[in-house]
Amino acid sequence: MNRGTEHDLIRLLHGELAEGEARELRARMLREPDLAAAFRRLERTWNGLEPPPPSPVPPGFAARVLARARAQGPPGALSWSAAPGWVRAAAAAALIAGAALGAGVGRSWPAAQAGETGFQEESVSIAEENEYSLTGSYWELVDETTGDEEQQL
Amino acid sequence: MVATETSTAAAADPGWKTLARVAAGDADAFASLVESHQERLLRLCERLLGDLEEARDAAQEVFLKAWRKAGEVTPRGQVYTWLYRIAVNHCLNKLRRRKLVRFLRWTDPEEPDAPAFDPPDGAADPAAVLEARRRWRAARRAIGKLPENQRVVLILARFEGLPYRQIAEVLGITEGAVESRLVRAMRRLEATQESGESRVPGEERTR
Repeated sequence: MNRGTEHDLIRLLHGELAEGEARELRARMLREPDLAAAFRRLERTWNGLEPPPPSPVPPGFAARVLARARAQGPPGALSWSAAPGWVRAAAAAALIAGAALGAGVGRSWPAAQAGETGFQEESVSIAEENEYSLTGSYWELVDETTGDEEQQL
Repeated sequence: MVATETSTAAAADPGWKTLARVAAGDADAFASLVESHQERLLRLCERLLGDLEEARDAAQEVFLKAWRKAGEVTPRGQVYTWLYRIAVNHCLNKLRRRKLVRFLRWTDPEEPDAPAFDPPDGAADPAAVLEARRRWRAARRAIGKLPENQRVVLILARFEGLPYRQIAEVLGITEGAVESRLVRAMRRLEATQESGESRVPGEERTR
């Protein structure tokens, strides 16, 4: 099977082929068993990729998004992308330094002490939360500076 | 700016008018934008990330980005393709970070880091949901082995049902590139299926 035919078969599966071309290709399949077999294989693979039904939208989703948007202020009010490059670079460096410092303090903290006070689990969860917020903020900053919607894939 | 852009795009999709109001800080317009697109964006994020909780967070972030960037976008095509573009990039960034975290933690790359889809709340038939999950997990394994650019095209084409033209718009590539990525993805999936390495579901193996 040549490349063009393979592309046509996938176009047929995806519904991209114009009606006349689709009819022509189906007629060819009746005459060419190899082509028909190739189509059946592709069709089986295509049909086998069936995801479960999507989960429903959680109640109050839109209200939560709206509340967060309101908290951020009007569109474009506080955007990292509007900040000068050196401000963004300095903020990123400060976040990285903060994360590194936080990790260092966490490691040097004697585990026994936390155990003795009985707050070990709580300390771990707080540390995890802090790590999440620091890295989360860092990645958010990276997203803002690179501009998610402008990336080429 | 949205408000001053040509009316052709706005005529094609009235969503651009809503977005112009969002750009002016109209919270009601933003609420309406979220209501109109939440279902498909959540679905897309869920399919790209394979994790419901992460998908919900991601979809929120996508809408918040839309809120922040509403005044900067040039109306072209449909509003949802612009939102899809933000969502695809956001989810891919999340997946790349996930890979990096796994690498730093020395986690086995084959080990799934998240359960593949929780059953929808209040699902009618738990057995059917479990079966769908099992099949989907196998499909996800196969899809997960595709290169990123092929995987995204496959998800947009097969699961989101977008035509080549809209996929090209979302990804900022040509229709030809969409087609060749989809063909390569299908070739790989077929080969995987034939080798039996990671069988695509719905296919009973004959021995």
